Amino acid sequence: MSEKKEKFLSVRDLEVVYTSRKKIVQAVNKVSFDLHKGETLALVGETGAGKTTIAKAILGILPNPPSKVLGGEIQMEGEDLLRLPEEKMLEIRGKKIAMIFQDPMTALNPLMTVGEQIMEGLMLHNPYDKKQAEEKAKEMLEMVGIPAERWVEYPFEFSGGMKQRVVIAMALACNPLLLLADEPTTALDVTIQAQVLDLIKELKDKYETSMILITHDLGVVAETSDKVAVVYAGKIIEYGDKKDIFLHPSHPYTQGLFASLPSMNAGEKRLRPIPGTLPDPTALPKGCAFAPRCPKATQECMGEIPNVKLGPDHSCCCCHLKQEG
Amino acid sequence: MSLIEVRNLKKYFKVPAGLNHAVDDVSFTIEKGETLGVVGESGCGKSTLGRTMIRLQEATEGQIFLNGQDITHVKGRELDKIRDKMQIVFQDPYSSLNPRIRIESTIKEPLKHSGRFHGKAELQEEANRLMELVGIDERLRQSYPHELDGGRRQRVGIARALALNPEFIVCDEPVSALDVSIQAQVLNLLMDLQDQMGIAYMFVTHDLSVVRHISDHICVMYLGQLVEKAPAEELFAHTLHPYTKALLSAIPSTDIFHPMKRVRLKGEITSPINPEPGCRFAARCPYAKEECRQPQKLQEAEKNHYVSCCRLKEIS
Repeated sequence: MSEKKEKFLSVRDLEVVYTSRKKIVQAVNKVSFDLHKGETLALVGETGAGKTTIAKAILGILPNPPSKVLGGEIQMEGEDLLRLPEEKMLEIRGKKIAMIFQDPMTALNPLMTVGEQIMEGLMLHNPYDKKQAEEKAKEMLEMVGIPAERWVEYPFEFSGGMKQRVVIAMALACNPLLLLADEPTTALDVTIQAQVLDLIKELKDKYETSMILITHDLGVVAETSDKVAVVYAGKIIEYGDKKDIFLHPSHPYTQGLFASLPSMNAGEKRLRPIPGTLPDPTALPKGCAFAPRCPKATQECMGEIPNVKLGPDHSCCCCHLKQEG
Repeated sequence: MSLIEVRNLKKYFKVPAGLNHAVDDVSFTIEKGETLGVVGESGCGKSTLGRTMIRLQEATEGQIFLNGQDITHVKGRELDKIRDKMQIVFQDPYSSLNPRIRIESTIKEPLKHSGRFHGKAELQEEANRLMELVGIDERLRQSYPHELDGGRRQRVGIARALALNPEFIVCDEPVSALDVSIQAQVLNLLMDLQDQMGIAYMFVTHDLSVVRHISDHICVMYLGQLVEKAPAEELFAHTLHPYTKALLSAIPSTDIFHPMKRVRLKGEITSPINPEPGCRFAARCPYAKEECRQPQKLQEAEKNHYVSCCRLKEIS
């Protein structure tokens, strides 16, 4: 299936660090992945794993300092986004790549009406005059299920779910080719989350937008994505088709994530958590970063960790797999 | 006699636009060593319910009983005594601990207040026992809250709640700020403590898989009222109220081959300020009819299974 689709975005060996006084936080360590047109890739992992940093690096909005992209490339339509001058990026941001931020309460400007906020991007990227932009903004609001006449209202007049829909309307206003959705439903209640997820799916199909979805909710992943990348301590430790990951989770960390869910199918009374916590990102352990928490860890995990291919689209960074397979 | 009984509890807040009916005529009981799960969306009044029950807020109307004693209006020393028996673990481990007090001192504070411990050595011993019980490493005992991660901070909150040997703890979304792997650690801890010490919990959450896992009975709340009340497994097996059905179907399932068929709810939660009489869910309910404008009552539809819906017979 993926053969037919053209490769659209390609990230290679991306490395990002945050510096604070003497310490260096290795936020993203040599991350590589591809995204095809119309496809959704989910980045899954714990808080602090580096998911949001990857998205911000793609959009080029990491503040420098304290953050710094050390190396790698992000290819989109034959251009390396990391090496484009700022003026070029200004044209891409909001037009070709748009981002939905996690917290709708802080992503909107409280002093501007929601209509004005949607118009801002529209007028910047299109030869619209005010009247046309206003029409388009109203159209976008209707599309996300907010009555057009509410375009003159301020963010505080909307509920959390509606604010998130305004943020989605803003992100989609210029028909972006790539949508970066950073925990778009985490701040919302389940019934509203269901509405927002349905909406994103519908719009994505309509415009063939590619999407990178950042989340820690495996249920959301199961419902919306095609590919899954599991991120741990700034590395993609397992990558594959949704089916590969959900049916054959191979990395001990991925297996641990699934095991620690209080299953909707009840039965067992005790949960099986992953012991310990994420390693200190200023002093990552040698070799496999998950080894200190891993039940299978051996001496070997301190060395070079291979990226084992398990299927046409399924790979996993764990030295134990090589032996087995 | 139940450990806790709540009778027709109401809590209204005055707001510029009128009265916010945060908790409106809620009744239930909790037995010793049992867990009652309270689920509902944000703004449905579930946290207010918990806070009112342990007297952090004054009830507007209704009664709260602890071991048969009416504690709705007790004051002074009497109130201090019942505070020993009823504790709370807050949602946000980041803001419910004093950032300028070392965690050991945070845990010692209720111990000192109780007056049950004499001398520094005894106090220290008890604090050590508590920290061991919840699994806080020795090396972290002199740390400040900001030096700990969310899971460990929540352990401190739990140790503080356990300090006075309570019979009842309100857990107000204790794991929603935590990652799944850490969430599982904290849930296991809470269940172990219940087994060892026979504490009753009221577990307030919006996460249905968590509530199913931990509860004996579940109450579903919508805009200040209970719409359904049943034993946990019964509620999931025979969901009756249209709101509960919609809520369950909205959970994204991790089963990639059998996605849930979703009941699509339209619209947002209606305002709890000066609500109309009648079913509060009617505005979003796919089955709403004229008769839903009449006040609704929680009725026993099946054994131990209570539902507040006048159209139950026609829709199920």
